[in-house]
Amino acid sequence: MIYGYHLVICLLLIILQTTLLVGGGAVHHYDLLAPFVVYLGVYHLPRGAIPVLVFSGLAMDGISGGVFGVHLTAYLWMYVGVRWAIQFLQVGNVILMPLLVTAGVVFESLVVAFSAVVLASAPWPVESMFPVVSGQVLWGAVTGPFLMLFFIRGQKIVERARKSFYAEKRPLRTP
Amino acid sequence: MFSKRMILVALVIVLVAVNIILLTITGKHTQAPSGLGRGVLVIVSPFQKQFTAFFNAIKDTWNQYFFLVATAQENQRLKKALGQSLEQLNRCSETEIANDRLRHMLGFEKVIPRPMIAAQVVGKDPSAWSKTIIVDKGTRDSVRQGVPVVIPEGIVGVVVEASARYSKVLLLTDPNSAVDALVQKTRARGIVKGGGADYCIFDYVLRKHEISVGDMVVSSGLDGVFPKGFRVGRISEIVRQNAGIFQKVSVTPYVDFEILEEVFIISGPAEEDPPGES
Repeated sequence: MIYGYHLVICLLLIILQTTLLVGGGAVHHYDLLAPFVVYLGVYHLPRGAIPVLVFSGLAMDGISGGVFGVHLTAYLWMYVGVRWAIQFLQVGNVILMPLLVTAGVVFESLVVAFSAVVLASAPWPVESMFPVVSGQVLWGAVTGPFLMLFFIRGQKIVERARKSFYAEKRPLRTP
Repeated sequence: MFSKRMILVALVIVLVAVNIILLTITGKHTQAPSGLGRGVLVIVSPFQKQFTAFFNAIKDTWNQYFFLVATAQENQRLKKALGQSLEQLNRCSETEIANDRLRHMLGFEKVIPRPMIAAQVVGKDPSAWSKTIIVDKGTRDSVRQGVPVVIPEGIVGVVVEASARYSKVLLLTDPNSAVDALVQKTRARGIVKGGGADYCIFDYVLRKHEISVGDMVVSSGLDGVFPKGFRVGRISEIVRQNAGIFQKVSVTPYVDFEILEEVFIISGPAEEDPPGES
């Protein structure tokens, strides 16, 4: 059930940022999946998170016209980084959690920008990196923590629904 | 001999290096390897199409029933513009007839229009660093990789990936795009490349050519992709440096890529005249 929840969220975020949240200048377009990857890193073990990360990464790379594999790379390394960071960070903290989300957005924006400026066949000028990345980070820092709260809240609802579903089924099994 | 920590650090360094090498290889192509991109289009694009249709329905309802304040003024302006266009069309028709007659006299081949397919934009690129759109026509509709995409205002881009029902279009403003073009007035030739943002760069225009801001740039047809005479954009900036044989020219595309909703895909080679027609 939680796999289903993750896949639905992942698909929803991809569709949202490729249909509704387009236009209005490039600086606003930070990847909404960055806070989602941070959420997966904090709350889910690799067994549950890796398939979702691979799906999201391939989906984003397939839709985007950038360097193929860059989103997949960013998500996997971000997940590894978050798993490493939570060993010594109290991520439930009101200050640390938004910081972790912001760090995730910074990392993702920098990796994608690096690929566009350095690795792409027709690279962008280096000076274009700063306004785009700073705009993305600003928006990510403001809205990312709210998205993270939304994911956590959604997970709680899904878990509650799952528990009540099994609780309803269990009495039927007893003779 | 080596501590566990050291081995871990070495492993991470090797993985990062391998990762960068792989990205460098894939970065040299605009198409996803092994059809992975096509697979993604098959999964994600139907949802994009439904969502776009729903969103457009809401937008249309708002625009058609509630947001009517400026409509009367716009109506007046459009009527005036229509009158001017009709006059211009009449002149163009006369010129076309004269052109056909002269071409016939000179023994030139007849210019045959290529078939076009209308397609709806269902999704746009999520990244700020690449400019692509997804349209709802694919290989089933005779769309294939490398065919040009246009709208009446001008050139939109080129199809870089096509699944059965959906295609990915690389926009004119993407740095990977290039169109062989010429200035309509002076016939100065060059290559229009995507500038990344909402403008293009007109490369390889010789310094000796006299061009000015506001001149129209059209496709030359020499790249073998875009038919000749399609509008590309308007010259917005010219920098003539003291050294060098070329001038730096910026072009603003006629197409507004932010509000793109429908496009035409030029699907194939020119249609032959049906037998019996001259």
